[in-house]
Amino acid sequence: MADVSIVVALLLIAAAATVAVATRDPVRQALVLSVMGVVLAVLFTVLQAPDVGLSQLAVGSALTPLLLMLAVRKVRRRGQGKERER
Amino acid sequence: MNGWTAAATVLLGCGLGTALWGVATGPLRRRVVAQNLSTALACPGLLLLSQAYGRPSYVDLGLVLALLGPVGTLVFARLLADELAEDPPSARGVTWAVAGLGAGAVIALCVATGPSRAMVKLLVIGALLISGNLLASRALSGGFGGAGRG
Amino acid sequence: MNRRTALLATAEVLAWWVGLALLWLVLISTVDTLERVVGAAAAGAGALAAAAARRAVTGR
Repeated sequence: MADVSIVVALLLIAAAATVAVATRDPVRQALVLSVMGVVLAVLFTVLQAPDVGLSQLAVGSALTPLLLMLAVRKVRRRGQGKERER
Repeated sequence: MNGWTAAATVLLGCGLGTALWGVATGPLRRRVVAQNLSTALACPGLLLLSQAYGRPSYVDLGLVLALLGPVGTLVFARLLADELAEDPPSARGVTWAVAGLGAGAVIALCVATGPSRAMVKLLVIGALLISGNLLASRALSGGFGGAGRG
Repeated sequence: MNRRTALLATAEVLAWWVGLALLWLVLISTVDTLERVVGAAAAGAGALAAAAARRAVTGR
């Protein structure tokens, strides 16, 4: 009966991944990816792999959104700079 | 399947499902609050799972999430400060409800663990969780008065 | 004034050290001599970092 929690976690990760693919704007996608990171860590815990879950939390909750947001900001600033040069 | 597994599954399923819906739809202010609350809900879920599987070492996952979840939200609060300033999120009811849920889960786990060093560890994690949650939601909605834009 | 500020700085580092060492003792699973030594060293490094961070944030 512990399979119920595994099924719930798998459904959550499927939904999170679908939402991540369906979101077009990179900023909103970074938010969805942060939630998906947490759901992945929960899935790893439910599958009795807490070390993997620990690494996933360490990377996916703060680092991945930070890298994404910094990249988006840099691209937008470069785009704005080019527009002003014209 | 004992009661702890059922409680953890319900909390994680409903909580993270709602957070996923909140982060997928709506204006930016709802999405940011949903991201904040997803980490605040997953932490007591992980603590309950540690009790459900009978492995005290899983509590470390809750500790790491209680520390890094608010950091992730603060990243968004800092880098989206301009867009959030024109449309600030206000979700105090939901934030306090989630904080109360976390506190309830931690208290139930402390009662189940019994007085020991493990219970003190759970209380420390609960304090970090709730203070981090409130700190992050305050940073989202108004910001801190003395913080400069560095 | 120099001696007083030095005393305050040392007291702050010591306070951080005690707090972090207690936190370490709460968070580990079994307490033996090796854990105490490692915990004291880690708390010492953390105390220096925390005092520097506090000085950097508030002493702008």
